[in-house]
Amino acid sequence: MTFTRFFLRRMMMVIPLLVGIVFGTFMLIRVGGLDPVGLLAGPTATAEEFDIIRAELGLDQPLWAQFGIYIGNVLQGDLGESWLSTRPVLDDMLDRVPVTLELLLWGVGIGAIIGIPIGLKAAFKPDGTFDHVSRFFSLFGFSIPTYWLGLMMLFVFFYLLRWAPPGIGRIGLMVSQPPEVTGTYLMDSLIAGDWTAFRSALSHLILPVTCIAVIAAAPIIKHTRAIAIEVISSDAVRYAKASGLPTLTVRRMVLRNAATPVLTFVGTELTGLVGTTSLIEYVFAWGGLGQYGLNAIINGDFTAVQGYVLFLALFSIFVFLIIDFVVFLIEPRAELQ
Amino acid sequence: MPSETTSMALREVTAEPEFSLWQRIIGLTRRSPTAAVGLGIILFFGMLALMAQYLMPHEPELVYAERVLHPPSSEHLFGTDGNGMDIFSRVIYGARFGFGIAIPAVVLALVIGIPVGLWTGYRGGMVDEALMRFFDGLRVFPSIILALAVVAATGQSLINVVIVLGVLDSPVFARVVRSEVLALRSSVFVESAIAAGNPTWRILFIHLLPNAIQGAMAQTAVRAAWAVRISATLAFLGIGIQAPTPEWGAMIRQGAEFMISGQWWVALFPGVALILLVLGLNMFGDGMQEILNPRSRAEK
Repeated sequence: MTFTRFFLRRMMMVIPLLVGIVFGTFMLIRVGGLDPVGLLAGPTATAEEFDIIRAELGLDQPLWAQFGIYIGNVLQGDLGESWLSTRPVLDDMLDRVPVTLELLLWGVGIGAIIGIPIGLKAAFKPDGTFDHVSRFFSLFGFSIPTYWLGLMMLFVFFYLLRWAPPGIGRIGLMVSQPPEVTGTYLMDSLIAGDWTAFRSALSHLILPVTCIAVIAAAPIIKHTRAIAIEVISSDAVRYAKASGLPTLTVRRMVLRNAATPVLTFVGTELTGLVGTTSLIEYVFAWGGLGQYGLNAIINGDFTAVQGYVLFLALFSIFVFLIIDFVVFLIEPRAELQ
Repeated sequence: MPSETTSMALREVTAEPEFSLWQRIIGLTRRSPTAAVGLGIILFFGMLALMAQYLMPHEPELVYAERVLHPPSSEHLFGTDGNGMDIFSRVIYGARFGFGIAIPAVVLALVIGIPVGLWTGYRGGMVDEALMRFFDGLRVFPSIILALAVVAATGQSLINVVIVLGVLDSPVFARVVRSEVLALRSSVFVESAIAAGNPTWRILFIHLLPNAIQGAMAQTAVRAAWAVRISATLAFLGIGIQAPTPEWGAMIRQGAEFMISGQWWVALFPGVALILLVLGLNMFGDGMQEILNPRSRAEK
């Protein structure tokens, strides 16, 4: 199968999913019996004013017609206006994407760098001491509340040791912000060659990234171990072992065969850790997309919540597609399931 | 495979040998120490929840106005919080929220998920296909965010938290049961049940259910852990459960502002309790899966 055909088939499969997702986010604020008209009109509005607002929002139409309007708006990139910021939700979110991606990519990247070797080492000697310790560590990572870990880090590294800055924002208050290119202070300060800003941005990044990395490492350890064990017990590897090949050669073989599924899993973790990242942003006042979404949820800014949930779903689909394409390019025999 | 189907038919009629509770505990410890430790932690917190009123040295919501933010002492083992309430008592009382949300949520998820899994697995066809695609679709929403958004949208009450967690969790059980039913559908005991003229509900619930439920049961502890975590997260964000309520997530929220001014005890202790209970549930669940599916671990 050529790449173009694979690409087209894969895209075809995504379309019904997209419609379903848009429908899901459309229904999200309608299941709740919350009345956006009442929110907008305020307590002193008359019945006519209610009707006018209802007509303006298209809420006097039947549900399917409302869905039609919503799909039309979404296709035009109009996700409505947030009443917290009084700006279009899409603009609000696009501004914050790089800020969140910075945290997420560093966190998952470092989590993978920690998790994959631990998972592999555990798999080479199942039921050994190292395996048990790593299993406990992984279970612990599954159980620790993200936000609590962030708070404890702040206490130890800011209050006790004074190594880290207080968990507010992404750069020191006294440091001038570098000119915006990528939207992340770390990259922008590097581009501008501003070392003070770079150091400040880096020091603000370390604690939240560490938290995400710890949480990310847990499932990566578990899955790397499971994948590696499966590869080790495959006929090919057992044959290689039985033929008396040196351990190092066998291990290299295991690595090569485990690489694709492990990397695929790390890729899916990018979507799995969006919630974790949001909570970390909330604790460290990071000001990214995650904090924006949580604030919208907490304050009942439902247009923004709807846009945020839709955005996250699209992000997941995007990541899954990229993973599929990369896997196809690495291993063309991987067929569509 | 005739031998496999006979053994399955046999499994249905042979009664399980009787073990005493003590023998079962020893057996569990031997087969999976992880599960045994997990069970121990769960029972410990279960005891705290049940006996809370005898174990708490103070009322959980009693304000000692002159003792605001006192560090741990012999009078207040875990110190007092920003309102002057005794944290030790509040942590003990908080166990009730952990179980009070997780148990009904998981039961609800089972009540929805098992019949759906039985029916779709048995019948197959369009409904099955559509439902499975729907469950696949749900996966693209991060579970924490989805739970938060739905609870916030449906109105913030404890009962809503339970319903939302239960509904969002039910696909997990539906999936597991469905895949078991798919494997059993054409086995001899099901075919003979059909031939004997059993109505569909009897085939589903009397014949298939006992054979298809094992995988789902092994998932319950892990799903309970998820429910405890998410409900605490909701409370931490101030959604659903509000501040002076002695719920662990809400207590961590109260302690958050004191972390950077050095009053660590307010957020530390409820967090430790939360981790321990979730860890216990995860360990128990992990161990049960290991026992039920030994292939998943330790293949040498």
